[in-house]
Amino acid sequence: MGWRGDERGRKCGSRVRNPDDVSVKPPPFKYARPESLDEVLRILSEYNGEARVLAGGQSLIPLLNFRLARPQVLVDIALVRELRQLEVERGVLRVGAAVTQNTVERSSDVARLCPLLTKALPFVGHVQNRVRGTVVGSIAHADPAAEMPAVALALQATMVARSAAGVRKIPADQFFLGPFTTALKPDEMLVEVRFPTSRKTRAAVTEVAPRSGDFAVAGVAGKLVTTRAGKARDVALALFGVGGSPQRLHDVEARLAGQRITGDLLDQVAALASHNARADSEDVHADAGYRAHVSGVLVRRAVEEMTR
Amino acid sequence: MTSRPSHIGANVARVEDDRLLSGGARFVADVSLPGMLEAAFYRSPLPHALIEAVDTDEALQVSGVAGAFTAEDMTDVSPFPDFDQRARPVAIFPLARDKVRYVGAPIAVVVAPDRYEAEDARDLLTVDLEPLDPVVSVDEALAADAPLLFGEWPDNIVIEAPVANPEAMAEFEGRVTVSGRYEVGRHAGVPMETRGVAAEYRDGRLTVWTSTQFPHIARTMLSYCLPLDETDIRVIAPDVGGGFGVKAEFYPEEVTIPWLAMRLGRPVRWIEDRREHLIAACHARDLVLDLEAAVDGDGRFRAVRGMAIQDLGSAEMYPYGFSPAFTAVGHITGPYRIPHQSVGVIAVATNKTPCGAYRGFGIPEAAFAMERLMDKAADHLGIDRRQIRRRNLIGPDDLPYTTSAGAIVDSGSHREAFEETVRLTSERLDRWRARLADDPHVRLGSGVVNYIEGVTPTYYFTSGHWTSFDSCTIRMNPDGTALVSVGVSTSGQGLESMLTSLAAEALGVRRDQVRVVMGDTDRTPYGLGSWGSRSTNVASGALREASSLLLEKATRIAAHLMEASPDDIEVYGGRFNVRGSPGMSVTWQQVATTANIRTIDLPEDVKPGLEAAATYDPPGIEHNPDQYGRLNSSATYTNASHGAVVSVDVGTGKVRVLDYIVGHDCGTVINPQIVRGQVVGGIAQGIGGALLEKLHYDEWGNPLSTSFLDYHLPTTTEIPNMVVRHFESPAPAMPWGAKGAGEAGIIGPAPAIAAAIEEALSDLGVAEITRTPITAPDVLSLVFSGGGQEHPG
Repeated sequence: MGWRGDERGRKCGSRVRNPDDVSVKPPPFKYARPESLDEVLRILSEYNGEARVLAGGQSLIPLLNFRLARPQVLVDIALVRELRQLEVERGVLRVGAAVTQNTVERSSDVARLCPLLTKALPFVGHVQNRVRGTVVGSIAHADPAAEMPAVALALQATMVARSAAGVRKIPADQFFLGPFTTALKPDEMLVEVRFPTSRKTRAAVTEVAPRSGDFAVAGVAGKLVTTRAGKARDVALALFGVGGSPQRLHDVEARLAGQRITGDLLDQVAALASHNARADSEDVHADAGYRAHVSGVLVRRAVEEMTR
Repeated sequence: MTSRPSHIGANVARVEDDRLLSGGARFVADVSLPGMLEAAFYRSPLPHALIEAVDTDEALQVSGVAGAFTAEDMTDVSPFPDFDQRARPVAIFPLARDKVRYVGAPIAVVVAPDRYEAEDARDLLTVDLEPLDPVVSVDEALAADAPLLFGEWPDNIVIEAPVANPEAMAEFEGRVTVSGRYEVGRHAGVPMETRGVAAEYRDGRLTVWTSTQFPHIARTMLSYCLPLDETDIRVIAPDVGGGFGVKAEFYPEEVTIPWLAMRLGRPVRWIEDRREHLIAACHARDLVLDLEAAVDGDGRFRAVRGMAIQDLGSAEMYPYGFSPAFTAVGHITGPYRIPHQSVGVIAVATNKTPCGAYRGFGIPEAAFAMERLMDKAADHLGIDRRQIRRRNLIGPDDLPYTTSAGAIVDSGSHREAFEETVRLTSERLDRWRARLADDPHVRLGSGVVNYIEGVTPTYYFTSGHWTSFDSCTIRMNPDGTALVSVGVSTSGQGLESMLTSLAAEALGVRRDQVRVVMGDTDRTPYGLGSWGSRSTNVASGALREASSLLLEKATRIAAHLMEASPDDIEVYGGRFNVRGSPGMSVTWQQVATTANIRTIDLPEDVKPGLEAAATYDPPGIEHNPDQYGRLNSSATYTNASHGAVVSVDVGTGKVRVLDYIVGHDCGTVINPQIVRGQVVGGIAQGIGGALLEKLHYDEWGNPLSTSFLDYHLPTTTEIPNMVVRHFESPAPAMPWGAKGAGEAGIIGPAPAIAAAIEEALSDLGVAEITRTPITAPDVLSLVFSGGGQEHPG
């Protein structure tokens, strides 16, 4: 992003030396491609924070090429079979760290039991990205504008983190700490994400992005069950692209819960969503005010879609 | 000349596509020479700073590093000459001397066996920079106490050419006036292939491979900067993966890499990466047109006055970055009968990447401003937006028509193309209204705009040095095949195919008997390259002249071989036929073999060999403007009308272009699919500029669009279905009646889409759209301005 001065005209570091952003090809790194998870974890432990896990590489490789990431070693998990599981076990969808987005997107089990994932995945980059990119990698990367973290949050997924020292299960609402920042420790790896399943849940993703496949300027991932009486329950709505992390809209969910969805109610929740959205992302594509406003529009459309 | 035209207008396949689409092309990055080194540049991280010191010691200690250099090492290099006396001298030097004026300016270069090592060593340079206050907008640059980019100047004005035409001013008395300030954002051509240079110095000769649109001009510039004679420099533009004007500039790296090859005695290559491209290849547009029009009550425009105000960036670009502003002024009235204009130019230097050429070259800016102003006048006077155009468009009876900018519009289908575009656009809009009737979130609208594009222009106005001619040499080989070499060069646009067809047409040979050679100064005659929608016209003019010289001689040989009179010979199908004597003929092969090998069979007064050279200077072009800035800058004028159908999501501001209609007239169409390709590609870029693309800077002068994550080019999902209707109004003075088609597509999208968005939101009474790109947040603000937002609000 170039050099930034604190204050106009102030002399700022007159000795400029190798700003990280001036380079583009990756700096030197070591490369490991172990065949077992234990070996992956051993390397992570050995390098304690100086190793990075390489799954699909859709975010990490550009970061390396810009020399924004300078790990000592890349640990490629392509050959680790135990990270490739995609299965439903006791009502839980388990997605391993090496499972590509494309595999999940095309799974009929996922479409039936966890439709929010299926609906969200077409928004993730382009098909070329999804053939390599992984669901778990996207969650671990925690880009504030990405769909997968918001899906994990809306579904209250469980993050399974492992290190050489053992296993840790982290609920989604304690996992995302800020832009590109998660609760994972330096020697930990997100090996699996567990999504609750349901045959009754309806799901919707609405977003605004400059082009198809771009990171969202604002988006909503939602799920909801409509009772026989036509009332909403089990509502969850998560915004992405709006602030530094995906955010649940608990007040909006509470307003909808147990209610029949009417135009008036939609107007109210849209206004509430815009008001409550913590819109602190601002960049060349949109300011915070725009993001907050369209958050309401998108929440309204997501709820409409799920109750139509 | 042949009496049986057969290649003009034929939809034949492009001859270059086998190579380009099957991996057979050779780009600069494919040039690999024994012992070749790679270079990496250290570029300024600051927008404005003094260079205090560059310490290369640590970098030089890295094993394999062949050298690290700064401007101080280039003692035998001269700065680019400053040709244009109207502008303040900039004296561009290949590596920055003393001072940097934009983030991305090259300060030092490191050479190593490969790019990775070069970049690792480059990271070890220590560069001491003394930051200076940056100037990042025109207003800042013109402020009384503005920091100066060039210390020897009194201000930051690179060129100022005000115009006060009393005839134009008189029109404003007692008339309705409409005015506006129209701003086309900073974006750029962004070709798929970035820039690249490779060089080898061997046996006293320098060979330079560079991804350029003008190899001969590059050679001449190299001879000005390096201590070499022009005959000792060979410039090769191999396959070029898109130019769009970005590569019609001569860049510092094009001197530095050859200099390194000479200094180190080893071949050196540099391939630009995308981040470098977005900060160091030329930017474009960033032009404000501040205009006022005097209009009669019935909507007829009488005069327009105002200023073109350009933010040039650092101005360290040659040919000059301010030329598009003058071209905008030259096209300001478009295809409308507006008798008078008085529009001046001011271009200022700021601490941003220097501006240069981009497809359209000022004309998109002019069309955006004039079409917006026309819409505004229509709304103000209560006249339909289509109707006001009918009242102003030049018609067949007006032609040739001299515009108030001095352009002599030679021919065209201005009204016909407009009416057809209006008809098709309404049809499409109705279709979309039916299709999207159930969508509660979107509103639909359409806009139709017109423009003319001066093609085959003077280069004197742009370069201050070169003018307008080009050249062609044709050599008939003994087997009757033709080697056609031309001074223009290709960047993938289909020029080889065009010239193959035209050579076949002119020589009466089959297309597969023609080989076109371009982009190599040792193998082609001097020429000015490809830009300004000129290549087909200038090359074919020279080609026709050379063909005619060649045919005259060949006909005499053929007549002699058949013992016939030269007057009775006609050429077609690869044969010389005797008129009235079916079956009596000789082939090109027989004639060429006679000329080159069996010269004992030649007529006594005919010398051996079969080769001809010719130049062509398009007629009617003026190189210098009059006191009011008027000149006929171009040899002929393409016209087109564009119609856009858009949907606007009133909840999010998101715009989709649903359909795009073009009525296009570039005179005689030589190959319909190549013209369509040019138009469609130009529209895609135009849609990018209208809705997506902007090179952002923060208030400190830091570039914020330094990768494709933030610089958004349109993709297939943003490009609509397009309908292109060809009209053919042959250019009276041009060879084959053709006019250039390279830039037309990009001119219309911004004003057409802006008008369509306004129409979609018209019942909300929204404000006017005055700048591009038009982003979703911008459109949502418009919706708010009309009070029509979806809840919440």
